[in-house]
Amino acid sequence: MLSRLPLLLVCIWLISGLHSHAQVGVIARLPRTTRAEMVARAKKLANHTWVCGAPNLRASCSKKYLSDWKFGQRVTGIPYRWGGIDGPEEFDRKLADGLAAGAHSRFGVLKCAAGIDCSGFVSLCWGLSASGHAYSTSSLREIGGKPKYNVFADMKPGDVLNKPGTHVVLFTGYNLDGTINVCEASSSQARVVCRKTTWSRFKGYIPLQYKGIED
Amino acid sequence: MARSYRIFLLLLLFGLLASDAPNGRPQLEPNVCTIPLTQVLRIPITALGTQLTAESLNAAPATLLLLPGATDELPWGPSGFDVLDDGSLLITDPLRSRVSLFGSHGAFRKAWKIGFAADSLTVIANGVVLVREATTGQLHVFDREGQALPSERGALPEQVEARVLNSNSGTVRRPVIDNAHGGPLAVQFDRPGLTLLSIETLAIDQKDDTYVALEATASGNAAEGLSLNKYVRRYSSDGKLLCEIADIPLDYYVPPVDELRVRKGKVYQLQTTNSEVRINVWDTNQLCSRPSH
Repeated sequence: MLSRLPLLLVCIWLISGLHSHAQVGVIARLPRTTRAEMVARAKKLANHTWVCGAPNLRASCSKKYLSDWKFGQRVTGIPYRWGGIDGPEEFDRKLADGLAAGAHSRFGVLKCAAGIDCSGFVSLCWGLSASGHAYSTSSLREIGGKPKYNVFADMKPGDVLNKPGTHVVLFTGYNLDGTINVCEASSSQARVVCRKTTWSRFKGYIPLQYKGIED
Repeated sequence: MARSYRIFLLLLLFGLLASDAPNGRPQLEPNVCTIPLTQVLRIPITALGTQLTAESLNAAPATLLLLPGATDELPWGPSGFDVLDDGSLLITDPLRSRVSLFGSHGAFRKAWKIGFAADSLTVIANGVVLVREATTGQLHVFDREGQALPSERGALPEQVEARVLNSNSGTVRRPVIDNAHGGPLAVQFDRPGLTLLSIETLAIDQKDDTYVALEATASGNAAEGLSLNKYVRRYSSDGKLLCEIADIPLDYYVPPVDELRVRKGKVYQLQTTNSEVRINVWDTNQLCSRPSH
């Protein structure tokens, strides 16, 4: 067994080299974007206004589907759809095609619904296209580096607070009272919202900084 | 020999006193009266499976409902609450589109069928209750019996502005009462190794005492996850620090919208876990248990 140890080490070195090479490739292909563009995209998703039509209250691919909305309701914010990554134009097109407006995890990932979830929201804000690779809160780390700064003082707009497997929000700024502003695709509020909040909500979250950023 | 030793000690003492002067090393806070957790009200929760059916929604009406969520989706359940003058509790129950009323000991009394999912509520003057619709942010007005008042327009009380000045101090812009009372409140947070992060004004009571929530951290390095502590302090109208709550748990299963409320000198915290809703109560009217330093 000991005689095979050097071989094993070489294999590990080769695999790690391949992995880091692949990582460099992923990062090189990331779209470049500025912090101002990230925040502008977040606000656009939060401020997008739409009206719920009768077909948007039903999901053709799910019998148990229940809508968060009412007929004719005017809503501000792209609706929450678990597994979704629809930007404003894509969402409007799907809405016009009669897809359901938003869906939660209890209905599964619905192809017949339109909207966006928390990691899809961050991906879009970071400039990744809806047709590209879908990142979850567990895989965002591949395109988001762990910054070495003081998170309570040096975080910059466009960075995110992520809890793998749970949730992710986009940071947009500090307030004078020490609280922060974030934008997120909120399942409980059923849409993209921006708000002021305290830190205690984010205990255990980890800051990430997009690797394709143009600072 | 003994005399020179005493002189040396005297000089050392003077030196220490001088270093604590305002222009020298920061003065540590005087002993702060710390209020222990007075009471925990435990309200049972019914955790649903992934299926939301009429049966599951109607089951166990005296409990609150919780949907555990999924990968990349936060659990959904009670996130808003407030306290009436008699100590009874109003808690949002969004999965059932209702608000539930519990007695001051946590016993279920009744539910208001409000017809929408609420994520926050606030009791304002005369027992009027403002309930926020989660999906729109719209405020709906109810009387203390749970009757909707559609003609009333609700407005949340204006937030008293606060500001963090540096790593150990801040200020709260209270309204001026007279020359000795009210006006700017200086918040000094001198804890070795801790940095003040935020100040939030929770309430100003009938005695004009001010309640503030402070967040502080020991480290800005969050590579393994953000770490922080939360405190609530009560200040008298003349700006004296009366007491502090330092043992606020921050393990939330459902992130609260209404995290802390103050009523008649008692501080209430909503903590929704995966098995129950805990209302943690600290009575700041009681005597201090111990100084915190």
